[in-house]
Amino acid sequence: MDNKIRTVIIDDENLARKIVKAYLKNYSDIEIIAECTNGFEGIKVINEQRPDMIFLDIQMPKLTGFEMLELLDKPPVIIFTTAYDQYALKAFEVNAVDYLLKPFSEDRFKEAIDKAILHIGDKTSQKEKIEKIIQHFDDNIEYLERITNKSGSKISIIPIDKVQWIEAQDDYVMIHTPEGKFLKQKTMKYYEDHLNPNDFIRIHRSYIVKLTEIKQIELFEKESYRVILKDGRNLPVSKTGYVKIKEIFN
Amino acid sequence: MNNPLLNKNNFFIYVLIWIIISIFSYLFLTEALDVNWQISLIDTVVFNTIFFGFGLGFWYSAQFISIESNRISQIILKHSIASVAASAIWNISGMILIYLIFPDYKEYHNLLYRILIWRFILGVFFYCFMIFFYYLLIYYSSFQAKVIKETELNLLHQDAELKALKYQINPHFIFNSLNSISSLTLDNPSKAREMIIKLSSFMRSTIVNSELQKTPLSEELKNIQLYLDIEKIRFEDKFHYVRNINPCCLNVQVPHMVLQPLFENAIKYGVYESLDTVIISLTCSCENNYLKMVVENNYDIENPEPRGKQVGLANIRKRLNLIYNQDNLLVTEKKDNFFRAILYIPL
Repeated sequence: MDNKIRTVIIDDENLARKIVKAYLKNYSDIEIIAECTNGFEGIKVINEQRPDMIFLDIQMPKLTGFEMLELLDKPPVIIFTTAYDQYALKAFEVNAVDYLLKPFSEDRFKEAIDKAILHIGDKTSQKEKIEKIIQHFDDNIEYLERITNKSGSKISIIPIDKVQWIEAQDDYVMIHTPEGKFLKQKTMKYYEDHLNPNDFIRIHRSYIVKLTEIKQIELFEKESYRVILKDGRNLPVSKTGYVKIKEIFN
Repeated sequence: MNNPLLNKNNFFIYVLIWIIISIFSYLFLTEALDVNWQISLIDTVVFNTIFFGFGLGFWYSAQFISIESNRISQIILKHSIASVAASAIWNISGMILIYLIFPDYKEYHNLLYRILIWRFILGVFFYCFMIFFYYLLIYYSSFQAKVIKETELNLLHQDAELKALKYQINPHFIFNSLNSISSLTLDNPSKAREMIIKLSSFMRSTIVNSELQKTPLSEELKNIQLYLDIEKIRFEDKFHYVRNINPCCLNVQVPHMVLQPLFENAIKYGVYESLDTVIISLTCSCENNYLKMVVENNYDIENPEPRGKQVGLANIRKRLNLIYNQDNLLVTEKKDNFFRAILYIPL
């Protein structure tokens, strides 16, 4: 390689970044182009400066490492760092992605760098791996407590209780909140599995509704029902959906 | 189980009862049946002494025919046979003895035949009565044993529960702190040393004292100070700790590490997620027979209430309920952008 390997360190802790910097002093072909203290900065820097490789801490305030990755279009090669996270470790091992457990030695650091450099040329398999990791990680969380949304350069984090209803849109879903609606590239099933059934109910193949948003349920045609939300909107209810509704409201 | 009548006190009572029975049987013979006093005396002594001895042996009958492993019909059948046999043996042996000692006492022999049938029935009754009495004793002692066992089990269970609800050291905290120390060795070795010592002191109080259930407030405050000093190295100016402790509270016994989860929550959900400096304050005072401890921190309103926090608080509540038998000793408040946890420890 003629050019230096351009890298970004993303970690909310100053001391943690210091160690990575100190270890990197021994690599003359690696250049640190930026340091970020949170996921928002990270997205901005990655999109604008396109580094070859990043050191990414998983536990960060506001936006976790995984949430940040979800919002990236073209992720670079990633070396994950974490103090302790059972779920993450499983995801990494299953997908053969390298990670560093804090505190890590210089030798371990070198191993990770060597592996990462091999992947720098290979962007597609990297993206696939990242997607698999995120999937694996997603599968293991219990119930969602927030949803991230990126529109242009603005990233917002929406607490789950702001979500009013969710609608299927081909390969995507549309999330409706009082502030507006936005698309997420996930399936209805994903949300059905990861939303607390005490708060949300899937009333139809294409609709998930927050229970407290339901104003009333009324008989529509001969044997089909529909739900009327607080804002007046009507949503159809399937047969199985109706069974679920009956159970809850009785 | 040994025959309970054989223990000193009970044996004495048993003897006493037989003496009373003997007096009654002597009076019955002389007054009601008009028998002369010599015969009455001999009769009373011989027959009551024999039955006195038999009575002690009936214990084995009661033990042998246990209530648990036999149906009622079987029990009644077996004891019916036994009572008849016992009474028969009693009467026969009594009569043989009389014949041997007084072979010519015809008047007495006639009496014996006359009252034989009644004495036989009496023997059956005595047997049943003693068996009933023995069953009562067996039941009572096994009942007592069960109560003791249950109390022991309850204590063991409570012990285990208390241990499980106690603060478990947080791996995140350990590894993040070790990583910070590793970093400090690069350009601030003395600070690294200081942090290692503080971390080991902290671990000593959690890991080594896992059996301990109560400590004085002064010790608890030392642990909190250690914990926050360690976190200060990671978070630097992101938080400040303010204490307001009434000195009279310092000796109060509190559950070991009861405050720790509250401060961890303040760091995890207050300091960690916030962009501005967070003030964590602790106020301790004694009022109305309770030690009142308030842990308060400001936080970023935009952060949704995380589920993990509720679990930590629920554990504290449960632990306090187990120790003090009150389920209202932890109160939480959220006002403006302040989160407040109030602990009440009975004095």
